[in-house]
Order: sequence, then C-alpha cells, then structure tokens
Amino acid sequence: MLNYIARRIGIGLLMLVALSILVFVLLRLAPGDAIDAYINPSAPLSMDELAALRARLGLDQPLPVQYFGWLRAALVGDFGFSTQRAGVSVLPLVLERIGPTLLLMGAGLLIAIVVGIAAGIISAVRRNSLTDVSLSAASSIGISSPAFLTALLGLYFFSVQLRWAPSGGMLTPASPFSVGDLLAHLILPAFLLSLGHAALIMRYMRSSLLEVLNQDYVRTARAKGVREFWVIIKHATRNALLPVVTLIGSTIGMAIGGAIFIESVFNWPGMGLLLVNAVNTRDYPVIMCATLIIGACVIAVNLLTDITYAAVDPRIQVA
Amino acid sequence: MHIRTITQALAISGLLLGATALTAPAFAQDVKTITGGFDVGPGGFPKNFNPLAATGGFTWLNTYYEPLVIYNAELNAIEGALAADYTVSDDMLTYTFNLVEETWHDGEAFTSADVKFTLDLIRDAASGSVFTGRLGKIASVEAPDDRTVVVTLSEADGGLLSVLAQVMILPEHALASVPPESIATSTWWATTPIGTGPFKFTQYVTDQYVELAADEDYRLGAPKVDRLINRYFENPAAAVAALRAGEIQFTFVEPEDAATFADNEAFTVIEGDSYVVNYIGFNQKVDLWKDVRVRQAFMYAIDRAAIVESLYGGAATIANCGYVAPHLVPQGLNDYAYDPEKAKALLEEAGWAELNGDKPITWLTYYGSPQAANVMAAVQAMLAQVGVNVVPRVVDVPTYNGTVYQENNPDWNEFPLIYAGLQNGPNPAGINVGLNKSQLPPVGANIMRIEFDDLSAAFDAAIGETDPAQVDARWQDVCKVMNEELPWATMWVANRYGVASANLVDFVWTPAPAGGPYAAHPELWDIK
Amino acid sequence: MTSVATAPLERTKGPTRRSLERFFSNRAALVGLAIFLPILVAIITYDWWWGLGPNAIDLRALNKGPSATHWMGSDGVGRDVMARLLQGGRVSLIVAVVSVAISIIIGFLVGAFASFGGRVVDASLMRLVDLAMTLPPVIFLLVLASIAGTGIMPTILVISLLSWPVLSRMVRARLLELRERDFVVAARGMGASVPHLLFKHGLPNCIDILVVYATLQVANAILLEAGLSFLGLGIAPPEASWGNMLNLARSTVVLEQYPWQWMFPGAALVLTVLAINFIGDGLRDAFDPRSALN
Repeated sequence: MLNYIARRIGIGLLMLVALSILVFVLLRLAPGDAIDAYINPSAPLSMDELAALRARLGLDQPLPVQYFGWLRAALVGDFGFSTQRAGVSVLPLVLERIGPTLLLMGAGLLIAIVVGIAAGIISAVRRNSLTDVSLSAASSIGISSPAFLTALLGLYFFSVQLRWAPSGGMLTPASPFSVGDLLAHLILPAFLLSLGHAALIMRYMRSSLLEVLNQDYVRTARAKGVREFWVIIKHATRNALLPVVTLIGSTIGMAIGGAIFIESVFNWPGMGLLLVNAVNTRDYPVIMCATLIIGACVIAVNLLTDITYAAVDPRIQVA
Repeated sequence: MHIRTITQALAISGLLLGATALTAPAFAQDVKTITGGFDVGPGGFPKNFNPLAATGGFTWLNTYYEPLVIYNAELNAIEGALAADYTVSDDMLTYTFNLVEETWHDGEAFTSADVKFTLDLIRDAASGSVFTGRLGKIASVEAPDDRTVVVTLSEADGGLLSVLAQVMILPEHALASVPPESIATSTWWATTPIGTGPFKFTQYVTDQYVELAADEDYRLGAPKVDRLINRYFENPAAAVAALRAGEIQFTFVEPEDAATFADNEAFTVIEGDSYVVNYIGFNQKVDLWKDVRVRQAFMYAIDRAAIVESLYGGAATIANCGYVAPHLVPQGLNDYAYDPEKAKALLEEAGWAELNGDKPITWLTYYGSPQAANVMAAVQAMLAQVGVNVVPRVVDVPTYNGTVYQENNPDWNEFPLIYAGLQNGPNPAGINVGLNKSQLPPVGANIMRIEFDDLSAAFDAAIGETDPAQVDARWQDVCKVMNEELPWATMWVANRYGVASANLVDFVWTPAPAGGPYAAHPELWDIK
Repeated sequence: MTSVATAPLERTKGPTRRSLERFFSNRAALVGLAIFLPILVAIITYDWWWGLGPNAIDLRALNKGPSATHWMGSDGVGRDVMARLLQGGRVSLIVAVVSVAISIIIGFLVGAFASFGGRVVDASLMRLVDLAMTLPPVIFLLVLASIAGTGIMPTILVISLLSWPVLSRMVRARLLELRERDFVVAARGMGASVPHLLFKHGLPNCIDILVVYATLQVANAILLEAGLSFLGLGIAPPEASWGNMLNLARSTVVLEQYPWQWMFPGAALVLTVLAINFIGDGLRDAFDPRSALN
C-alpha cells in the first residue's frame, strides 16, 4: 500500500510539471501578453515603451529561459508578483482565494446534497404521483438551465428587486467582520449554485433508490413487518447512496476550481473569478500558480478517493 | 413524517435567514462614508496602486495623491495643485513651480526634494514608469529651495503641463531607499502608501475594495466625510445593481443604463464629453485604401446622424475631423452628409469591384460593450448597401494590442480596418501619436502606418507653436487636413455618464479620459 | 399427422428491436421527441417561411416589443428576435453536433487504443487523459478561446477538446471488459489486427455508450456554448447564437425593460436541452436490458 501511495505521489508530481508546461505553452500561444493587457488603446504607448516595460518583466527572454526561471523560483515557493496588481505577491493572493471558494462550494453542495437527496427519496417513494412528476420536471429544468442565467435572474429578483440579499462581494466593505454579514452575502450565491447540483443529485438518488426498492432484501424487510419509513431510510437509502456518493465525490474534486459563473455575477472572491481575471489580463504568474494549486488539489482528491476505495473494497488490487 | 421534517427544515432555514438579516451590521450613524465604483468604466484602472505605471484610474489616485498641476473640473484649463503657481520662460524651456505648504500623511513636511525625487525617478527607465518617454524632453530638475522647483527642457514641449497633471508626487523619505528596479513590485503601494491628498490610505482588501480615511491636516480643510471607499466591480452592470441596491453612492454607467435613472428622483445623472474620438482606421499598408475616393466613400456611406440619433440617443457629436471642440474646428469643412449613391459612384470610380469586390474585410475592434456591437452592426449594414463587405471582429484588449503591436512582420490582413478611439482632449496633441509620420512604430503608436506628409507637417507646426494666440489656428489647420485627406473615417465623439445618489452634496465628477485627474476637491464632498 | 396443431413459432425480437420498443414506450422520451423535432424542423427551414432576416437592421424599430411584424420583438439595432432565435438555434446546434462528433472520434480512438494497445500505451494514454482532466476547465476554456478567437470554428474546437476525456474512460472500461471475451480472444488468436478488432468488434459493442454519450453531450455542448458566449468568447455578435442573445441579460436595462430579447432565447435553450436530455435518458434506459424489470 505504501509503495502504491509513493508511486502515485511521484506520478502526481510529474503530472504537475507536465501541467505547468502545458499551461505555459498555451498561454504563450494566446495573442497578447501582460503588457498588452495593461495598455489602454485610446491612450496608447509606443512600441519602444512597451518593449522597455516587457524587458523589466523579463517577457522578452526566450521561452525556455522564462519557463525554467519560473520553475526554479516555484520550487522554492516563490511564485513572483502579479503583473496586474503592483506589488502583490502571487502565492498569498492565490491561497487566500481557497477559503472563499471552499466556503461557497461547500455551502452550495451542502444545500444541494440535503435538498437533492430528500427530493430524490420523496420522488422515488411517491413514484408517478403529482409530487414525483413536478419534482422530476423541476430537476430536469434545473439540469437544462444555463448556470449564468439562473445567477442573473436570481441576482435581479432577490437582490435588486426584493433587497433580500446584498448584490455582491463577500463582506460589507469597511465594516468589522461578523459571521452574520458573511452568511448574508453567502446565502444567495450558494443557493443559486446549489440548484444545478441539487437537480442532478435528485435524479441519481431517485433512479438509484427505485432500483434498490425492487431488490429482494427490501421485500424481505417489508415482509418482516418493519415500518415503511425505516425500510426506506435504513435499508434502501443506504444502499442507494453509492452512485450518489460517487457523483458528489467527483463534484468535490472539481470544486476547488470554483464556480466561475456564480462568482462572476456576484463578484465572489473565489478561484474561478481569479482565474478568469488573470486570463483576461494575461497575468501569467497568477495563472501558473493557481493552475498548480488546483491541479495539486485534484490529484490529491483523486488519490484519496482511490485509496479509500482500495482500503474499503477487498476486490480492488492496488499493489 | 417526511413532511414534518421538511417543514422543520424550512422553518429553521427561515429563522436563520431572518437572523442573518438582523445581525447584518448597521453603520454607526456618526461615521460618514461615501462608497463608489470609482474605477468602473473606461477611465478606471482597478487594482493598480502605482501612479508611476498608471494609464488610468486617476480620479481615485487623486483622492490620496496629488500632482503638481491639475486640470479644472471643466477640463479646459490647467491650475495649480501642489504647485501654488508656475511661470514659464519666454523660450518655453524653463518651468518654475512654487510649491504649497503641505504635510505628508505621516506628518513629514512636503518639500521640493519630493518633487525632484519623483521626476528623477520617472526619468530613470529602470523604474518602469509609463511617463519616462513622455517626460523625455526634461533635461534637468533642480530644487533651489524647499518651496521652488525648476524644470529645464532640452526642447520646447507644449504638452508638458498636460503630462505633469498625471504625475503624482511621491514622498522621498519613504521611497528613496527602494532601488528603482524594485519600485514597481514594491508592496508599499498597496499596503502603506503615503500621499498629500485629502484622504489617507487605510486598507486594501485584495480585489474587493480600497478604504481611505479623512486627513484632518489637509491644507484646504478637513474633509467633510470620514471615509471614502472604492469598490471594485466586474463590469458596469454589477456596479449599477449595487447602486440601485443602495450599497454605493456613485458609479460610471453605460449610456443605456443612464437613461433608466433619468426620471429617478433619488439619483442624479452626470453627463460629460468622453474626449475620445471614435473612428474607422484604414491600415495604410493594405492597398485597398490607397485611393482617397474609397475612404471618402466610407464617409458618405455611413449615416452618422441616424446612428447618433438612434443608438446614442443623440448623446454624441458627429466628428468631421479629429476634433469637435468649436475652437478647433474651422469653417468650411466637408460634412460628408449621408449619400449612399455618391458612395457607390466613388467606389466605382476607384474600381472597387476589381480592387476587392465583395470579399469580406476583417474589421477589428476592442470595444466589447453591447452598444458598440450594435453600432458596428449598423455600420456593417450600411457599408454592405454600397457593396463593401466588412466583418466585425471583437477581441479583448490584450489580443487587440498583441495583434496591432506585432513587431516583426505584422500581418496587415489581421487588421486592415479597425474601429477604435483616440483621446483628442483636453490636449489636442493627443491624437498626434496615431497620425504623425514621426510616430511610426517602434517610436510611436501610429499603428495604422499613416504617412501623410502635409498632415504630419500640420501636427508638427501645431505642437511647436509658441505663440498662444496662434495655437487654435494651427489646430484648425490640422483639422482641415484630416477632413480632406481622411487618414481615418472619423465618426463621432460620444458622451459618457455617471450616476450619483441624490444624497451626495458637492460631489464633482466628470468622465475625463483615463479618469483625469481634475480638481474634484474630495475634501468638499458630503453626504446627507 | 395433421392432428397435432403446432402453434407457429414466435420469432423472438432482436435486441435492437427490443431497445426501440422500450424507447418508444418511455413517456418522457416521447415528450422529448415531441418537443425537439418541431424545434429542429423550425430551425432548419426557417428561411422558407419567415420573411425577416437575422441581420437586417432597422434603426427605426429599436427595442420594440412583440408585434404583428416582429412576433418576438426587436433588439437593440432593430433586428428581428425571432429570426435571430432561429438562426441562433442553427448555430448552437451546429456547434454542438460537430463538436460532439469530433470529441466522439477522439474519445473513442484514445479509449480504444488504450484498451487494445498494450500496457505501456494504456498507461501513457491514461496519464494523458488524467492530465486533460486535471487541468481546470476554466483555464483551458479561456486560454483556448483567447488563442482561437471568437467564431463558430474556434468554439467547436474548444468544446470538443474539453469533452473527450470522459468518453475515452468509458470506452476503455467497456473495451477492457470486452477484450477478455471468448470471441475476441479467438479473433486475436487467428491473427486479427488491432484496427480490425476495434472497428469490427469494438465499435459495435460500444454503440450504446456512444449514442447515449452523444445525445447527452449535445445538450451539454449547447449549454457550454451559451456559457462561453456569456463570458464574451464563443460566438460574438453580429452572428446570432442563443448564448450571446442571453448575454444581453447582463444589463439591467435589457433584463427589466426588454425581456423579450432574452426570455425567448432562454426558453428555447432550456426547452431544447430538456428535450435532448429526455431523449438521451430514454436511449440509456432503452439500451439497458435491466430497465425492463422496472
């Protein structure tokens, strides 16, 4: 087992390096660089001035030199400075986005899991009734709607019209930190984020539970005289949860990347928004660092999942 | 059973939501704060705190830094800021500035040493300042005493004061110890900057907002409000949402949003000249545009009056040369009134069918707003009517700059036509960089490779004019040449808008290009 | 002799026929078809029966609500919303279908070669797939889109490059299982080449995964194109696409005062994706023999 873990970690590190090279190359292929992002075309600078600014950032050196310079610095934890934000060091900038991202995704997933599983159970138990049909219809619409549209509409109704929630950001500017303030800013984006996930979880839960409810052991439990409520919750649901857990697991793996549409509409300071901004302004240091961190998280989560499966299921050989 | 659990869950969440609404902090009534989206829109430069490297965002920078001289709020005259007054020698080579008495936010006295330090730092190319080139004609900066600075030029530069209006003076005692190469990446800018302005820096929450507090010792009086907050927004629409929700008191708005605030008593709409002339640029390296008749056909084919009327709601001024300010426009210009028949005739004379026919021509732009998209669609349709097939291509700013600023072997067919804007005021020399032969890359920004000799001569004459009585006439000559030779198909100069809450008192804002700066007097701003 | 009346032997239905029957008895799938087919027909044939064009501007009819001439109103330059809706449907569907086709080809080939190509090929291809899946889709999307620019071809490229890894994994899993079956072992023993194995034995046995994946991925691709256009990439105006029509809703003015400009494309998008999802689910249930037990 230890060998397996060590090998996977080794492969993971190699993949991170490969990832960094891939991203580096892709970024250089995109037209325009950090300096080009800086200049306002209606008050333009001359090419000489741009060349001078580039030289200061080291952008005029040959590509392999730039890459290895970056790699060497990154290995000791120096990810440089953001080209878009003067004097702001990249690593702390990226790391401080992890918290809000996990908060948003966590809250959204929590709501999605609770609502999705509950709705899936109700829908399966009350199969083909009006409740089932309407819940299924709602979930189908939920999966079929573009995330950004729900976000825009949600923002418009709940924030601008009803004033139930602030219009964006994570905390009220310049006020002392309070959990209440944070929750007030969190609730609307988390709720809107949860809609799509809840719909998917509901469908998986429903179909999985329907399949389980036909099994023999459920029939046995009923025949034994166990109350219907416990049949469903204790016997059926636990076994029906496996595909749902797999779904949730893969969603969590991608969670660190953030929810770009929600973050964009609500100006929530998460990883997704950071990356979108960084790509728009060709802020290479930020993009490289953020990609590495996200990649490392995904690899770590995958490794943990695989280890858990291997430890739990004796049929899976990993040696 | 599950119904009960569901109702319980709903009740709990409802209580939670109610509780959060109650515990959301309410501001103490005695801390007056003005919150705004100061860096929203084209004049803003969010997340940049280094005035040496700023190409915009000066409205905000001017709340805690100050330049030597500054434009007034109407943008038609330069007045003193940190320089109480200034004199210029007759040969226009020596500028003497007399400085005001002021203290830095950390209590140190403001002296001429700070001015000398700032200007010398800019002239040192290692500092990575965007002003290095523009202050290139400065030969020396002397500080004979604490209250006087003498700047000597190697040649006359009529635009010097205009450039100095954007140079924020920095404290020598804080920055002298930082080597110029590290100045741009210093953490000082976003953590502990020190200026002389009416507000001083409190904190920056990365990517979210900047908070300033009133500087009681400001020489023009303690500010009326206690705090100033600049919130960053992803786009103007988000700022408008926050404005409506009452979370901010001011922001730049797009023209169609401005119309919705017009009848609202709780808000004031501020309208101002953008000082950016929008034009269709002809890439002179592409043979299609060599014949002036083709360029004239563009002007006749596009119904600029209809576009201004319908898509700008009348809030734009048609430009028949690079300027629209009345004192810069001579009499007797050709107004190229809408005449599609004439356009077709001109194209036929020029042999357009053999030159290009209806092959698609890429029309590159960096303007991404819905209004710009509509305008380009309208122009495309009008040009199609006379037989010119242009295909708009919208790209983001880095891609645009990357395409047009290609050093080695640029592919002219990637930008045969552009839809762009260039700042044409308050200093009329602003459009020189795009039109003068002497500004061909890599020395300048004449990306359309315009090499019209009489146009360049007219620009040189106007910039070098030392007699103030003749200056306007020289610029009118430039206008006349532009109108005849059409290096660009000039379209219009649009207005820009801001919306402020009616609770703001004595609030001054104008949509100046790059945010100005202009004398907004933040110390007088108040909120009811 | 003739006294024993033997009942005529019933021919058992083949698996394809059974699948089709299951599909057509699935209510949701039929509803999906009922929604999707008319939309498809309308989109393909609109220039035969609808007079206005999607790019015909009319500066005198800006932002007008639904009326007799403009059944769905007009947009900011006076173009007819209905025409743009139908044209946008074409663009969105073309982008979705072509990108799915490309990603199926790539996904199948990668998965197939990984499963039949031997351990080294398998390991390296799977590492490649892992790499593609580790890359945050945000970056990939944005960077590819900035490189490729806006327009139909670049959008197709971006979307197809984003979706093939998942398919390759499913194909690989299916084919690995297949590889051990007797008929395949026999075929290899007789000297069949890898391409022969893949296309004669592998592909037919993967059809069900491919069909289900294709249908659901088309729905996904439509949503992805809308998202790209929302971010300013994807299809840019004046070309019409459902995504960039929805992008108009960003501005509160349009959201509040001209709802017809985004509600109709929004409804069309949701309905189409919904219908395709129903059809895809129906196909999945139809191909799964165990669903007959339900």
